[in-house]
Amino acid sequence: MRPDPPVLSLEGLKTFFKTEAGLAKAVNGVSFSLKKGETLGVVGESGCGKSVTALSVLRLVAHPGRIVSGRIMFRGEDLLKLPLERMRQIRGDGISMIFQEPMISLNPAFTIGDQLIEALRVHRRISRSEARDRAVEMLRRVDLPAPEKRIRDYPHHLSGGMRQRVMIAESMLLNPDVLLADEPTTALDVTVQAQVLDVMYRLTQERGTAILLITHNLGIVAESAQRVVVMYAGRVVEEGLVENIFEQAGHPYTRGLLSSIPLPGRGQGGTGEPLVELPGIVPSLFNLPSGCSFWPRCREKRRICEEDEPPLKTLGQDHRVWCWLDD
Amino acid sequence: MFLRRLLKNKMGLIGAGVILANILVALLAPYIATHDPLKIDITNQGALPSEENLFGTDEYGRDIFSRVIYGTRISLYISVLSVLVAATLGIILGSTAGYYGGWADNLIMRVVDAIMSFPAILLAIGIMAVLGGHIYNVVLALGFVYIPWFARVVRGSVLSIKEKEYIEASLAMGGNDLTVLFRHILPNCMAPVIVQATAALAYAILAESALSFLGLGAPPPAPSWGNILSDARNFMLDNALMTIFPGVAITLAVLGFNLLGDALRDLLDPRLK
Amino acid sequence: MLKYFAKRIVYLVPTVFLVTVMVFLMIHLIPGDPAALMLGEDATQEEVKVLRHALGLDKPLPVQYAIWLSSIFKGDFGASVHTKRPVAQSIMERFPVTLTLTTLAMVISLLLAIPSGILAAYFHATRKDYLFMGATILGVSVPGFWLGLVLLLFLSVNLGWFPSTGFVSMGEDLWEGLRYMLLPALSLGLYMAAVVARMIRSSMLEVLRLEYVTHARAKGLREWTVITKHALKNAFAPALTTIGLQFGALLGGAVVTETVFSLPGLGKYIVVSIYMRDYPVVQGSILFLAIVYVLINLVVDLLYGYFDPRIEYS
Repeated sequence: MRPDPPVLSLEGLKTFFKTEAGLAKAVNGVSFSLKKGETLGVVGESGCGKSVTALSVLRLVAHPGRIVSGRIMFRGEDLLKLPLERMRQIRGDGISMIFQEPMISLNPAFTIGDQLIEALRVHRRISRSEARDRAVEMLRRVDLPAPEKRIRDYPHHLSGGMRQRVMIAESMLLNPDVLLADEPTTALDVTVQAQVLDVMYRLTQERGTAILLITHNLGIVAESAQRVVVMYAGRVVEEGLVENIFEQAGHPYTRGLLSSIPLPGRGQGGTGEPLVELPGIVPSLFNLPSGCSFWPRCREKRRICEEDEPPLKTLGQDHRVWCWLDD
Repeated sequence: MFLRRLLKNKMGLIGAGVILANILVALLAPYIATHDPLKIDITNQGALPSEENLFGTDEYGRDIFSRVIYGTRISLYISVLSVLVAATLGIILGSTAGYYGGWADNLIMRVVDAIMSFPAILLAIGIMAVLGGHIYNVVLALGFVYIPWFARVVRGSVLSIKEKEYIEASLAMGGNDLTVLFRHILPNCMAPVIVQATAALAYAILAESALSFLGLGAPPPAPSWGNILSDARNFMLDNALMTIFPGVAITLAVLGFNLLGDALRDLLDPRLK
Repeated sequence: MLKYFAKRIVYLVPTVFLVTVMVFLMIHLIPGDPAALMLGEDATQEEVKVLRHALGLDKPLPVQYAIWLSSIFKGDFGASVHTKRPVAQSIMERFPVTLTLTTLAMVISLLLAIPSGILAAYFHATRKDYLFMGATILGVSVPGFWLGLVLLLFLSVNLGWFPSTGFVSMGEDLWEGLRYMLLPALSLGLYMAAVVARMIRSSMLEVLRLEYVTHARAKGLREWTVITKHALKNAFAPALTTIGLQFGALLGGAVVTETVFSLPGLGKYIVVSIYMRDYPVVQGSILFLAIVYVLINLVVDLLYGYFDPRIEYS
């Protein structure tokens, strides 16, 4: 049986920022694919290029950033070669996006009803009242209490969790094939995070939407995603099924990330594995190290790591790593 | 330290240069002017520009070029003095309001709001109508009108600095209110005050020339640029330069302060609009 | 939102009160005796005394203020010393011209400022932007009355495109009246255009960087819609405040512009009255214009709530 083709696939994506301080290689050759209906986590520290990757998919990278090379395949077409008008049609309809801080991603000058209705009517020729009904219905599905009333509220009338749920509702209005979720819960209280993730997961499951879940929080990935992609300094360093990666990470960076999660039992006084910090800091995107970008922080580095970019190694079924080390 | 950043800003440098040029012209006026600006010569009324009178003469036979050159003195003098008056009073009022708060703040800001409720030129005209034409009256009128700008800015700064811990520490160590105000708070307010001052200087030059044009400013025969333009109306048709030259002088002077002010604003506080 | 409106109006009362006090004091700060000044040097002591009594100048100051204030409330702004006509009537006759002038100036200035400010923000840091900044800095440095003189000289007197004398109101004949108003409105409005244009540009620059703009694009909206609907509505709020303040500059500038172009407006009337020492006229007119300005700013404040709904919380 032939496997389903991926719903979205990135091939060798490079997005650079040309500034006075130099050329920042924010996304430096990223390739991965997203399968239909799956949740793919994209993890990495701040500045590793995960957000820029998502923005690149929708071609929303602002000056002075530019997508320099690569392909992004969606519905059989390369998004990077589409005329802007076609791209506009796909935004919000085929692929939609939700952002980290719902206070600043919802326009404070318009009611949430206006913004939802607008999202619908950009892509579908329906009347305002029909759009309004659909919007109310969607708000109900994201567990927003009293949606008929809420629809006339402004964003600042709602709590953070509620706003994010509105964002989710808006993004799902047109049943997109892909949802790009850029740190959807990072700006929320811990208590609210679970609720929001829950809603997001439920809706996408119902409609078969694939999620690109961008986060620096491995815990969320463990709970919500089937596969995960680990990024460092603009490149993918490891990719695979969540279980495989969590149990047997192939890349030193991934191992470092996993062992630095504070869990009960870890660290001093605990009986579990030691809490190990990753030494050093993320390199400046203007001045990336030669060869494998991780070598300055790698405990296991060899000479070749400093010289050449690491090759792809397959560690098992659906488990790839880019590293010079052999396990 | 930030002098270096200032030097990098081309617009600011041009502005500073223009201001400097104006100051030089004002100081060296006797050497640059070709005639005595006040000297009347009825035989030479309304002369067209010539080698003798670079921009012609007015209805009293006075050389326009020289009058414009000396006009620089009047503009700079009046605007600097009035801004000093406004800034001083504004700082006193603003810091009192910001520091003590309560009814003092309320009262002072109400008065400041009332002053701001008048269109600036209108208030200045009203005051000049009452006080009569004299250079120091213009200084008072403009000085009064611009107080609110400084008062508000200083009050805002004082309010934000007041909350900072080193103020509490200083008071705890026995400093009295005035010392704290002078040594700790005010020096940190100076940046926005300076930016306001350049804007006020630009405005003051424009306002002073408008007042003089209406006959409500520096009294004739003072060669204020506004006066010259007012006189020029009689000869507009014959001698276009007479109308153009003083206006260009005003524009340049104001431009200098605006350029410098913009540069300073970018430097000192990018959020100050 | 209604609470916000109510608060703004209540806040105004003490300020307006102080404004009336200031206008009242203006006359009483005149060096010398107001009555004597009005009558001129030839007046006898007896005539001055009679006038003083007629004007109520021999009563204590607070009482004079109260009397004056109550007549203002009744619409009595005093009477001209020279023509004996009620000031209020003269104001009503002349104010429409001033209002037309300032409104036209504002319209012209906004028509210039808003599109250019938006474009400058959109083309940020390109040559178009630098050109814009250069033009606006020049715009705020040129004295309006001089611009008026120059325009009058070249376009009216020399080229004859516009009339240089006389007046036709736009109320009587829209197009002909416009020919009389255009140059004055242009010279009056240029300063405001430059100020507002810069304000719009910097406000738009701030807003265009914000996440809801990226989000609007992510929804698939046309760039035009993103800029004019989403960005502009938010960017406009701070510019609105500037516009309100600039209206005051227009009112003040109108005084000078009307003098340059000899327009029969309230501004020129004030100037002429000052020459003639007709203080009641000056006092009444200035008070009137100040109140107009206060009302305009109130309207601006209320409009602000439309552009930035978050204001109700502050």
